[in-house]
Amino acid sequence: MNKKRLVFLSLAIVLLHGTIMAQNIRVAAAANLQSVIEVLQKDFKQKTGIVIEPIIGSSGKLVAQISNGAPFDVFLSADVDFPETLFKNGFAVKKPVVYAAGSLIICSSQNIGFDNWQRTLMTAKVKKIAIANPATAPYGKAATQLLQHKGILNEIKSKIVYGESIAQVNTYITAGVADIGFTTQALVKESDSKTKLYYKVINPKEYLPILQGMVLLKHAENNLDAEKFYQYILSPAARKIFVAYGYYIPSKGIE
Amino acid sequence: MDLSPIWLTLKLAGITTLVLLLIGLPFAWWLSRGRSFFKIIVEAIITMPLVLPPSVLGFYLLLAFSPQYGIGKWLQHTFNVQFVFSFQGLVLASVIYSIPFMVGPVKSALQQLPKALSEASYTLGKTEWQTFRYVLLPNIKPSLLTATILTFAHTLGEFGVVLMIGGSIPGVTRVASIAVYDSVERRDYDMANNYSLILFVITFVLVMAVFVFNKYQAKSPLE
Repeated sequence: MNKKRLVFLSLAIVLLHGTIMAQNIRVAAAANLQSVIEVLQKDFKQKTGIVIEPIIGSSGKLVAQISNGAPFDVFLSADVDFPETLFKNGFAVKKPVVYAAGSLIICSSQNIGFDNWQRTLMTAKVKKIAIANPATAPYGKAATQLLQHKGILNEIKSKIVYGESIAQVNTYITAGVADIGFTTQALVKESDSKTKLYYKVINPKEYLPILQGMVLLKHAENNLDAEKFYQYILSPAARKIFVAYGYYIPSKGIE
Repeated sequence: MDLSPIWLTLKLAGITTLVLLLIGLPFAWWLSRGRSFFKIIVEAIITMPLVLPPSVLGFYLLLAFSPQYGIGKWLQHTFNVQFVFSFQGLVLASVIYSIPFMVGPVKSALQQLPKALSEASYTLGKTEWQTFRYVLLPNIKPSLLTATILTFAHTLGEFGVVLMIGGSIPGVTRVASIAVYDSVERRDYDMANNYSLILFVITFVLVMAVFVFNKYQAKSPLE
């Protein structure tokens, strides 16, 4: 019976299937880092020969995945609370460190005029305002705080569309499906940006600073390559890249 | 272009189809014989993946197999296996997700076979298993092929469940449908289009194959 043999053979293949690959470093990175991580990845590979695999998502989603057993080695969050939570619950090797701080911008694919952006948001020509989900995306939280602080959140509530992460907000802005959105400066610093974008950096005094924290995860214990990447993110070389993408390195807050 | 998500999707669909052939056929056979209230309940349960949002299935699988509690914790500690954020987890999810596509058509086909067929076989001294294997199955070849192809194609289209329990790990859980989503998030529409087009072509060819094949069998597909 050749057919039987075929079934057995395919079953054997299924059962013996194991991934025989060198273990790459898996880096869970907040969505605001999606373009800067590619540059960091290349630079790190050039310096050490180590390959990292970025997994991009909203900070909250990544924390949920890590808490449920996702095999990630390093977590780069968009805030310090999420990595702190992981550390408290025993998923991280050490306390979080701040590696960069981000700036919030208001941005559009149309030249809408940002001189008085609060008033612009109220006008009839702005129909949809994109914000990242404040529960899972720290930049969405900052944008919500800002609108609350300005006292216009309730008035424009019906216009707000929530992106699952800042990446989705960026998609909404660049594709023009939302007239305006709140995102990170990294978006306009991308060299490969095909669409012309108009934006204004929000006054940093009007929202709590967005300090971004990093933790080495339990999955990476005794993994020297992951440790190397962790150190690299805090190195001058990486900081230069962060600055080039519109982040700044806070003088205090780094432990 | 990174083709690994395409291979991973094909591998997942292939293994899922194989597993469902092994467990789905005896199951369909059992369901096709006689009616009891218990069987009706079982049949309703395996039809659920057709109508249930994949996120619901993903959510329960996440709860069931999270290494934090219950079964997942026990599996992790006892056998060191994990069904979330792993390829075997996707296989398990896909088997549940695609089971109605395998069991439904095969069960209907078996029920439509004339009773005399199996009775003649028993009279000639064949066991139940021999009857199923050498008499019934060869008589429902068209339905069997349709069920196999549709099970495979349906698994290619999986997204919601994988989004919940996969974690988009390259080479492990980043299947093609997730690669489309990730590419759109990166605003890399060319790449999203590459993956989408490949998926579209493969699934279209498979669905066409079912229709063409059934036309020659003078039978409507999806029966």
